[in-house]
Amino acid sequence: MKDTIVQGLQQAYQNLFHMIAEFLPRLVVMLVIILSGLLVAYALKYVVRTVLRLTKLDRLSEEAGASRVLRMAALPSMTEVLSRSIFWITLLGFVLVGISILNIAGLQEQIARLLRLLPEIFVAMLILFLGLVIANFLSRAALLAAVNAGYASPKMASWSIRFGIWILAIAMALDELGVARQTVIAAFSIVFGAFMLGLAIAFGLGGQGLARSFLERSLGEKKSDVPDELQPL
Amino acid sequence: MADDVFLGDDLLRQLMSVGEVDLLVAIPTYNNAGTVVQAVQAIEDSYQQNFVRDRVVILNVDGGSSDHTTDAILNMNGKKAGAHRGITSLRTVHRVTTQYARTPSQGLALRTVLAAADLLRARSCAVVSPATSNLDPAWVANLLKPAYRQDFSFVAPLYSRSKFQGLLARNLLYPMSRAVFGLRIREMYSDEWGFSGRLATQCLGQTLDEAVRARPEAWMGISAICSGMKCCQAFLGPKAPPPPGSGPDIVETIRQTVGSLFWCFDNFQDHWLDRTGTEGVPTFGSDHELTPEDAPASQDKSFELFRSGVKELDTVLSSILTKDTRTQLREIAALDPDKFRFSLELWVKILYEFAASYHRTVIARDHMLQALVPLYRGQLYSFLLEHGNSSPEEIEADSEALCLEFERQKPYLIERWKAKS
Amino acid sequence: MALQEDNLWYKDAVVYQLHVRTFCDSDGNGIGDFRGLTNKLDYLQELGINAIWLLPFYPSPLRDDGYDISDYTSVNPTYGTIDDFKTFLAAAHSRRIRVITELVLNHTSDQHPWFQEARSSTDNPKRDWYVWSDADTRYPGVRIIFVDTEMSNWAWDPISKSYYWHRFFSHQPDLNFDNPAVREAMWEVMKFWLDIGVDGFRLDAVPYLVEREGTSCENLPETHEIIRDLRKRLDLAYPGKMLLAEANQWPADVRDYFGNGDEFHMAFHFPLMPRMFMAVKLEDRKPIIEILEQTPQIPENCQWCIFLRNHDELTLEMVTDIERDYMYDAFANDKAMRINLGIRRRLAPMMENDRRRIELLNGLLLSMPGTPIIYYGDEIGMGDNVYLGDRNGVRTPMQWNGGWNAGFSSSDPERLYSPLISNPVYGYQSINVDSQRRSEHSLLSWTKSVIQTRNSFRVFSRGTIEFLSPSNHRVLAYVRQLGEEKVLVVNNLSSSAQAVELNLQSWKGHIPIEMFGRNLFPRIGELPYLLTLAPYQFFWFRLRRI
Repeated sequence: MKDTIVQGLQQAYQNLFHMIAEFLPRLVVMLVIILSGLLVAYALKYVVRTVLRLTKLDRLSEEAGASRVLRMAALPSMTEVLSRSIFWITLLGFVLVGISILNIAGLQEQIARLLRLLPEIFVAMLILFLGLVIANFLSRAALLAAVNAGYASPKMASWSIRFGIWILAIAMALDELGVARQTVIAAFSIVFGAFMLGLAIAFGLGGQGLARSFLERSLGEKKSDVPDELQPL
Repeated sequence: MADDVFLGDDLLRQLMSVGEVDLLVAIPTYNNAGTVVQAVQAIEDSYQQNFVRDRVVILNVDGGSSDHTTDAILNMNGKKAGAHRGITSLRTVHRVTTQYARTPSQGLALRTVLAAADLLRARSCAVVSPATSNLDPAWVANLLKPAYRQDFSFVAPLYSRSKFQGLLARNLLYPMSRAVFGLRIREMYSDEWGFSGRLATQCLGQTLDEAVRARPEAWMGISAICSGMKCCQAFLGPKAPPPPGSGPDIVETIRQTVGSLFWCFDNFQDHWLDRTGTEGVPTFGSDHELTPEDAPASQDKSFELFRSGVKELDTVLSSILTKDTRTQLREIAALDPDKFRFSLELWVKILYEFAASYHRTVIARDHMLQALVPLYRGQLYSFLLEHGNSSPEEIEADSEALCLEFERQKPYLIERWKAKS
Repeated sequence: MALQEDNLWYKDAVVYQLHVRTFCDSDGNGIGDFRGLTNKLDYLQELGINAIWLLPFYPSPLRDDGYDISDYTSVNPTYGTIDDFKTFLAAAHSRRIRVITELVLNHTSDQHPWFQEARSSTDNPKRDWYVWSDADTRYPGVRIIFVDTEMSNWAWDPISKSYYWHRFFSHQPDLNFDNPAVREAMWEVMKFWLDIGVDGFRLDAVPYLVEREGTSCENLPETHEIIRDLRKRLDLAYPGKMLLAEANQWPADVRDYFGNGDEFHMAFHFPLMPRMFMAVKLEDRKPIIEILEQTPQIPENCQWCIFLRNHDELTLEMVTDIERDYMYDAFANDKAMRINLGIRRRLAPMMENDRRRIELLNGLLLSMPGTPIIYYGDEIGMGDNVYLGDRNGVRTPMQWNGGWNAGFSSSDPERLYSPLISNPVYGYQSINVDSQRRSEHSLLSWTKSVIQTRNSFRVFSRGTIEFLSPSNHRVLAYVRQLGEEKVLVVNNLSSSAQAVELNLQSWKGHIPIEMFGRNLFPRIGELPYLLTLAPYQFFWFRLRRI
């Protein structure tokens, strides 16, 4: 029996070494591929950036108004965005190729699946991007309006809107990707509904005066909490 | 009517009947049935008293009034000659009314006026407000005469104001536009102004951007300045305060006025970037004057809003102002209200940084203008604290000092304007 | 021979105003006379006029162009004799042309025997035929009419050592109509001429007949009483004769001179005249519309007299200061052209010899309600001479041809009563009857044709008027109507082409027929009627419903 165990262990270790011996070269190849992918990605990024700078893409983008959108979303310039995108896409491609070299069962299939998901991923990223931009814009608008109207907690109003839009964007992105659709919809409804309920209670209890003045402004005489403005012009 | 034209057939038909005119006075209206009749009467009286031989027209452009404003004008009875003893005027005075849109828009109203002035080949035009309660026939004449008789293209009004009236104009709009464009025109933003037919034709050929539509008069004046046309000021009289509760609030006012001013900086930068110094313009009639006024009610709330604005909008202001400027802002926001002082240097620096940031659109432009409001409130509070009991002369001296500070810091504006970030 | 068919003949008249002195000289003394005038009646008949208004031809010192009369019942020998006048009258009547003469009621010459007697002593029976005073302070505040020459309405008579009243020149003392003898004397004068056969009188200066303290001494009730009395006598003894008032007043004041149809038959519409000129200069119908809106209705048997120019200055008394200044600047920039409160120029020079404007004004004259009066020489576009004294610049000899003295007289040119107009533009060599007769397109031929058209339709002389109010103020449009006869008149007062839309709904279904060319225009429908007019063009449309 001892021999059997030893033999078994020897066989197992042999198999393991064999597997490692078989895997290691593939791992090395993968790493080499990824490394070379990194180099290629950097090189491409450099080339793209240079070409785009020579073609003055940033100025065109400024004139087209695209730069404004990027700035609103706290993103860098168009040249930078594109060159970085090229970098990451190239790198991703090499990583995927490298992983496929590993020849891990089932992984090929997942990679293929990942590749099939790419359009949805792209749309989801776009939704998140737009959500980011809109959240940024509207929350800032709310902040400014609240500050100028003299509201007590302007940042709360701003964050509420930002948070609300983020939740909406994330839920839409996940829905686009088809990730746990039912759960996401339910969770979104609960979270968003709770959030709105919370706001309503807070508004109703804590903002009675505000509610009143809002209604007065909408339906009757204009009354403002801000000081009587001297004639500015 | 073809899709690509904005002048309606009805207005065109009326203009055909009028034919060529020498003078055109326009009244933009929106629900002004209660006051428009006296305005039209003042214009007609002005025509009879000052331009009896000239070909004249009164043009009402209405933004979709629901109170029958245009009917009130059309149903006005002209003054009949007394018994049989004479005629009061040589020529027919036409009253043309048109609805330019279903909702009011100053920009569209002005565009209609410019088109009419161009088609009628009017030599001199004026725009008056139906809400000006003390509109006088002499005012109309003063706005028309410089363009009609002396070849001026833009006529800005000049008023006698009380000390604390028009502080936005005095502490921001006037000194800033003076320093940048080089002409000392006090009232670029007003409800009454005059212009020549030549300027009308020129402005008609330009697109009226959204940013200047709410206050197109300043844009006209700046267009005239940048085209090298002659500008002047004409003294009218006391500026009557608007009815309480009428007109936009300070946020909207700053959006309209400062927004249009900054847009003009952007659009006409070729004109002012190389320009240094300022010069006066001819003034007809008295010069502007300040009259004494009691100190206004406490503006403590303004200071609170300023302080809250500096604190809450720090992230927004970080995109607009330099670090150094923000530091200074935070320092003064921390002062006690009774020791608060918003120095001229800081105020000017802030405005120039705002202007430069507007030019680069570091954030949405409308947001930038809104962010300026609490800072303006702070400056206003500081001004009232310092000058609550000052004489008109002292306030004028301060105003001139502010103007000179704007001029002194103009190189800073240019430097910020041209910076990449 | 008297023309008796129609007692309302004056409503249909087209009157030609002339001074016998200016028209034609038959005896070579350089002054026109009745024989010469008689010789030219064919011309007038051909022109189409049917009444002549003769300026004063009575014996006179001629210090006011004959309005200072020294003998009411005679003819100035320079112009001929009473028999010459009778011959002329008969010749005119034979051509169906009526004759209106002047009757200067208000005053005489200081050379008149009546005044000579009156001034001779305070006891003279005729002393009271004039208005005397020891001081010149009576009737204070009364306006002076000849402001350029007179300083006061009182003049000192060195013979009777007192003041006498005169509303015109100081050599024209006013008669005292409070004196019944004066009234009787004037009636006798009227009878004298009516018996000879004249068809009517233009009564000069009627507003000033009577004076009363504390009044303007114009248009007083007593004056109207005098007129009513004269009219009554006239209608009884001489039916069908006409009285024409010269009252330079506002229309509402002139209205009183028609009474209830029992005072004057006709009166001049003075205020309309300068406004016609003003409207064309301003290119705006407003002056015409406003004055006609202020013109009251008059009795059925009465008529306004309308005119463009006459022997006097174009009076600017009945306009505002603004209007007067405008007229001076527009038409009389040179101060030599101004006299009293008026402009002493003829029609053609005022229109800068612009044929279109001359035609337009004549078109207005002949289509507006009222009896039109054409001043001699205006039918050929005669010019003026503003450097002759008084109003003589518009009283120069008639220009018949381009030859000797313009065919006016065989005398030496130096002997003419007035120099001829001889500049290259308006001189007799270019502007004369003979040369214009040769062309169908001359102003003379045009005037004949338009008078003929007017005479063909009674609607112009007797019809009502309804003004249209198109939004284009440069177009003056109106409809004349008499029974079923309707005429649409459209005038472009502007120097540029105009489009106008007329609201002719009331005449929907009618066909406009242009009256000169007799061409049909599109039928009037539902929509506003669009017309386009050339500069200063006018249309007369007969509206027929067929």
